[in-house]
Amino acid sequence: MVTNRVAGDEKSETASTRPFIYYGQPDPFGMGQIREAWAGRELLLSFFQRDLLIRYRQVFVGVVWVLVQPLLGTLIFLMLFHFLGADQGTNEAPRSRWRDASVILIGMLFWQLVNNSLRDATGSLVNYRHVITKIYFPRMLLPLSSLLCALFDLLVGLILLVPVVWFSSTGFSNTGVEWWRVLFALPALAWLVVFCFGAILWLSSLNAQYRDVGYALPFVLQIGMFLSPVVYGYERVLKALSPTWQILYSANPVASCIGIARWAILGAPLPPLLGILFAGFLTVVLVLSGLVWFQRSNQWMADRI
Amino acid sequence: MMEAIHADRISKRFRLGTLGEHQRLTEALSKSVRRWISRSGSTTSETKEFWALKEVNFRIAQGEVVGIIGHNGAGKSTLLKILSRIVTPTSGRVGVRGRVGSLLEVGTGFHPELTGRENIFLNGAILGMKRSEIRQRFDQIVAFAEVEKFLDTPVKRYSSGMTVRLGFSVAAHMEPDVLIIDEVLSVGDQAFQNRCMGKASELGSQGRTILVVSHNLAAISNICTRAMLLDHGTISIDGTPQQAIERYLQGMRADTGIAQWDSTSAPGSNEIQLRSVAVRNTGTERATNSVAIDQPIRIEITYDVLQDQIVNAVQIHLKDENGVFILSSGNAPSMSLSADPTFGTPIRRGTYTTTCELPANFLNDSRYVVSVLLGPELGKPSVACESVLAFSVTDTGAMRKEFLGSWYGPVIRPRLGWETHKIENEDDERHKQR
Repeated sequence: MVTNRVAGDEKSETASTRPFIYYGQPDPFGMGQIREAWAGRELLLSFFQRDLLIRYRQVFVGVVWVLVQPLLGTLIFLMLFHFLGADQGTNEAPRSRWRDASVILIGMLFWQLVNNSLRDATGSLVNYRHVITKIYFPRMLLPLSSLLCALFDLLVGLILLVPVVWFSSTGFSNTGVEWWRVLFALPALAWLVVFCFGAILWLSSLNAQYRDVGYALPFVLQIGMFLSPVVYGYERVLKALSPTWQILYSANPVASCIGIARWAILGAPLPPLLGILFAGFLTVVLVLSGLVWFQRSNQWMADRI
Repeated sequence: MMEAIHADRISKRFRLGTLGEHQRLTEALSKSVRRWISRSGSTTSETKEFWALKEVNFRIAQGEVVGIIGHNGAGKSTLLKILSRIVTPTSGRVGVRGRVGSLLEVGTGFHPELTGRENIFLNGAILGMKRSEIRQRFDQIVAFAEVEKFLDTPVKRYSSGMTVRLGFSVAAHMEPDVLIIDEVLSVGDQAFQNRCMGKASELGSQGRTILVVSHNLAAISNICTRAMLLDHGTISIDGTPQQAIERYLQGMRADTGIAQWDSTSAPGSNEIQLRSVAVRNTGTERATNSVAIDQPIRIEITYDVLQDQIVNAVQIHLKDENGVFILSSGNAPSMSLSADPTFGTPIRRGTYTTTCELPANFLNDSRYVVSVLLGPELGKPSVACESVLAFSVTDTGAMRKEFLGSWYGPVIRPRLGWETHKIENEDDERHKQR
């Protein structure tokens, strides 16, 4: 009975009612792909679901793995800094450990988003080339699915952040969490997601033609982690660098995003405003050029991948 | 009549050499620097160009079932890939009306770790179905594929037959306005192929536009309302299936009895490449497309083994002009008169020739089409070359001493044992009755 109704629906919108469309309409700014990707959102969900399912197939502790990575990372750096005598804050009180932990954890979680999305998205097209050469679908969905997975990891990881920040704030009324400010962490996160989106547009399509990208990426990511305030606070940056260098340092969108998030959640100092603007400009350039490039590469992708 | 597909002067150029290789970034940079330094168009001569399609032009009306035939390398697959938007043409454009479903491979995007149920949703989504559509047709898909019991088993534990059935079943239920089908129907067993063909003609009768590439001429003439013959990237005939098939076979008739490839165009994998297939009468050196009926026929398959330790099995399929499958044989001990020692044993790199000998006085005087399959096992070919070669068996008179007409009808014409015995003497019987 259900199937009969479906057949009826199908007939009411047969091909004759649909418009005649030529492939490859002019799309110089790559905006058509966004419409196309939106139309394919169900497929994106399927890819995302597939990535999650595969990740936890035949895995014993399952989703706990998402928590282990930032947790262990935070602990290791915390211990490292403790033994090296290079604590984040200057306060000797035992509570400052919690504050150090939350500084590192925020950095870790944000960095994990960048690291995982770039790492997985770069290979996403190449790993799926047997499908890309056999059927057409909005190819942007593949790197986007990797980005969604990384975002999922971050959202799960936030479970860790709540107790850590709670402990770090109760002892220090002057650095306590202010709820109105925490809301600013969301635009910082959204910005970081947009930045990752621009980066994966470039990386995934470049990797489709030049496999070097995949080889160079782990190295670049490693350097990027130390060039961004992941395991150290912005205070150190402000202390160590001259104002000009501070701006250049903050032009790195990852640095600015993490800086803003820490300011929002912990009340840490903000990155210089000029640096933030510069980083925002770079992000816009990255995303727009990424869209144009992805659109171009889409045309030869099945031939050269 | 409403137009469903319009191919507007599409051409596709491939650059030989760089095609398929993954260019390194440094090479691309150094090349562009060199180009910039020389500032002349001299680099264009560096790579050889190859036009897979040249100015292909046609319109297909809604509801037509169009078959595309042609030799290997005629551009059929490229055409389908352009029509299904996978590949962008070098020039020209393609327009379609409505939803396009392309089925160039069965089970595209199946993930071995996922269960049958999960793969139905994933594969359906890749094919362009909405979740709600898949949910509504889920039971039909499962029933058609006959995998009810294994729905929650990972696909990696499926047999290859089950995987193919599931893949086709999902695709068969996508109900697009335009359906593009490649050689997919040549996988699976005969019963499955028949079912696929049935499904295809059912979709055609529902008023959907279908484009199908196949070497199965019988299927083309059965389900198609129109057929196109592609020859070296151009359409050489566009008409009824009978016209196209006739011309296709005529083209083969001009063959010299040998099909050869050079190393760049040879069909094959990274392990094995087919170099030539030849037909000759036993005892003669020259390949011929016309063999004598009273002589044994030798089909010689020459191939390069590109890696050491390859296990290879050679198989031929013989079909007649109407696509009727006459025989399938391989170099396995169970199928040959004397065991072939290379069967099932790893062989070293090099060029090999495997010969199959058909007995004399076996085939009728008609035309036959040879397909060659190479692969690690019989039935699991890694290289399948459909209809590589045609030859005709001519009656030299050795078998028609008594009868001068044509032996129309039968496919084979072996000399069989015939004897007549006298059981009782008629005279004796008459004597008894008296």
